[in-house]
Amino acid sequence: MQESVLGRLHPDPTGNERADAAGRPACVIIGAGPAGLTAAYELSTLGYSSVVLEADDTVGGISRTCEYKGYRFDVGGHRFFTKVDYVRTLWNEILEDEFLIRARLSRIYYRQKFFDYPLKPVNALLGLGPFEAVRIAGSYLRARLWPEPEEANFEQWITNRFGRRLFQIFFKTYTEKVWGIPCNEISADWAAQRIKNLDLWTTLRHAFLGSQRTGTGGVVTTLIDQFHYPRHGPGQMWESCTHRLEQRGMRVAMRSRVVGMRHAHGRVRSVRVSESGGNDYELEGEHFVSSMPIPALIRCLSPAPPPEVLAAAAQLRYRDFLTVALIVDKPDLFPDNWIYIHSDTVRVGRIQNFKNWSPDMVPHPGHTALGLEYFVDEGDDLWSMADADLVALGRREVDTLNLAPADAVIDGTVVRMPKAYPVYDGQYRDALRVLRDWLGGLENLQLIGRNGQHRYNNQDHSMLTAVYAARNIAGERYDIWDVNVEDQYHEERAAGDTGHGGDRLVPRRIDRSIQEVLADVFATYDPVALGAAVGSVSAVLLFLATAVLLIKGGDPLGPNVSLLANYLLGYTVSWGGAVLGLVEAGLGGFGFGYLLATTLNWVIHQQQRELLARVAGTRSMSLFEGDESS
Amino acid sequence: MTTPSTDMAQLEAELIRTTVVRLRSRVMALVFGMVGGTALFLATAILLARQGLEVGLHLSLLNNFFPGYSVTWPGAFIGLGYGTLSGAIVGWSVAWIYNRVADRRPPG
Repeated sequence: MQESVLGRLHPDPTGNERADAAGRPACVIIGAGPAGLTAAYELSTLGYSSVVLEADDTVGGISRTCEYKGYRFDVGGHRFFTKVDYVRTLWNEILEDEFLIRARLSRIYYRQKFFDYPLKPVNALLGLGPFEAVRIAGSYLRARLWPEPEEANFEQWITNRFGRRLFQIFFKTYTEKVWGIPCNEISADWAAQRIKNLDLWTTLRHAFLGSQRTGTGGVVTTLIDQFHYPRHGPGQMWESCTHRLEQRGMRVAMRSRVVGMRHAHGRVRSVRVSESGGNDYELEGEHFVSSMPIPALIRCLSPAPPPEVLAAAAQLRYRDFLTVALIVDKPDLFPDNWIYIHSDTVRVGRIQNFKNWSPDMVPHPGHTALGLEYFVDEGDDLWSMADADLVALGRREVDTLNLAPADAVIDGTVVRMPKAYPVYDGQYRDALRVLRDWLGGLENLQLIGRNGQHRYNNQDHSMLTAVYAARNIAGERYDIWDVNVEDQYHEERAAGDTGHGGDRLVPRRIDRSIQEVLADVFATYDPVALGAAVGSVSAVLLFLATAVLLIKGGDPLGPNVSLLANYLLGYTVSWGGAVLGLVEAGLGGFGFGYLLATTLNWVIHQQQRELLARVAGTRSMSLFEGDESS
Repeated sequence: MTTPSTDMAQLEAELIRTTVVRLRSRVMALVFGMVGGTALFLATAILLARQGLEVGLHLSLLNNFFPGYSVTWPGAFIGLGYGTLSGAIVGWSVAWIYNRVADRRPPG
């Protein structure tokens, strides 16, 4: 029941397109990434016609493969690995025998040396050398003896388990490059979920004793050291999918941006499409599936949603990405598929070696193609830099890293990918809830894919959301938002661990409410703690001073220090006096510290009261102003 | 009768009331060290500037605790080092003990 019953969307001479010739519901799919194309593919399999609208001129979304002078470059690395059988079936069906099985090698580059990834202690310690190993051991010991009392952020969490030195070497630089957030502003939850049950000691024990058990008894599964990869890159999958769709009579309209979406009575009626040639048209449909970024979708809606929905859309943020692709006149540079760059002397975060993903990515056997990946924010200095300058930067950086001499780089190009990663900040969850609630009121609209759901889905799970959407159109009842994405999906994970409510883990910025900030500003001193601190230090100082004089001897013994007897009853420069002085200085110091804290607290409370009174005054004034303006 | 907003206001007030300052050991060490070093240097320098028959009779007794220190210009610089070091140790110790005690005490 496949191709023979498929109908085709015919352009309406009036400028409108409507249902297929066979009268089946027409589906409009926004976006020709993995989700959008899978939705169309699944719909065609189920006997539904659809049209896919893509604003860009390349299919595949972030899983595209770009071509430059015959060299093929991915936007990021995309291993094809899934635990979803149906997705695996689709991949094999679409790509047939064009899948390669590739060995995985990815390492960390730090100080001109390569380190296995995931970290292997022996390899790491040998690579760092004995001096650094001692520093690491010292900082680990210190972290165990005097841990950070609070584990609110990523830095504190990692430092307590691995020591500050290892944190600085293997965690800080790369994490901050990727997410653009200082490690002390990333919530500790992310580290706790990603690196659960692991610390340096556990890691060392595993390395030397070969134990494969986590602290809670879970078995650490092996890493995926092999993966499938299309011969000509992930884009080949989506080019092939597009070709198959067209063979089935579906239309994938490139350079066709959705600029408007008309809705009424809880249903989407049509979308306004703007072609790059300047031609605009209205496209009606029965069902609409969107993988475009939610904020863009919200802005398209006509009539516009209520202000709170628009405000929620404005709160969603993204991390963007650009690849500087370099062609190097060397047949072989390094064996890795990709390398994580932990060096803070360069801005590149990760380097792909596309020839090691598939030899067919590079047309000339004497050349190598590298992809230097920069994690950026749209509009920042790197994003705005001219392509030629970016290529020059890339050339300098591969030379600095000793990965390829600058003069061996013979050509290069730049690929920018906006909205590559949805950002999970302190406000996204509430904003997304508002948006989902409101968009859920449009009964014939479904949201799929990474940007369509503002969810950090892998490719396979984006595809699964599309399959669910297609089946919902066919009358089934799937919850698209319930597609389960396991944590650490491609990486090491403990068997038996459960997923995380459908979210692939990304760092979350610590959300500090105004109350917490105020609490910090007006935090008071603990009188007992300050008393204890001043008392202890005073007591020890007097005891040591007396002891030093006693050990040195002389006649008379410490005539000046003994004048303290004027204040410390019974104190003398003697061993008995040292102990008595210890007690009395301790008590006196405690009293002083307690009094100091109490006085400081009184001043802080006065300031707080004054500020609150001023705020109350301002509020009253704005209330009056509000009355006048209304 | 309490309303959700008054409950929230009470919670906020409680949060602000019960939040206790944490001292930064490094900052305390730096401040105490700077004050200690400068104080001893200035005390020595003032005595040297005023001159007299027996310059710094009492202050020079500090060499019982700070070997090498004397009320002389080289001694002033040695005192600067000792004052900084001992001030830093005192500042760091006060902060460290304070934080440990504060961590173990119930809020409020």
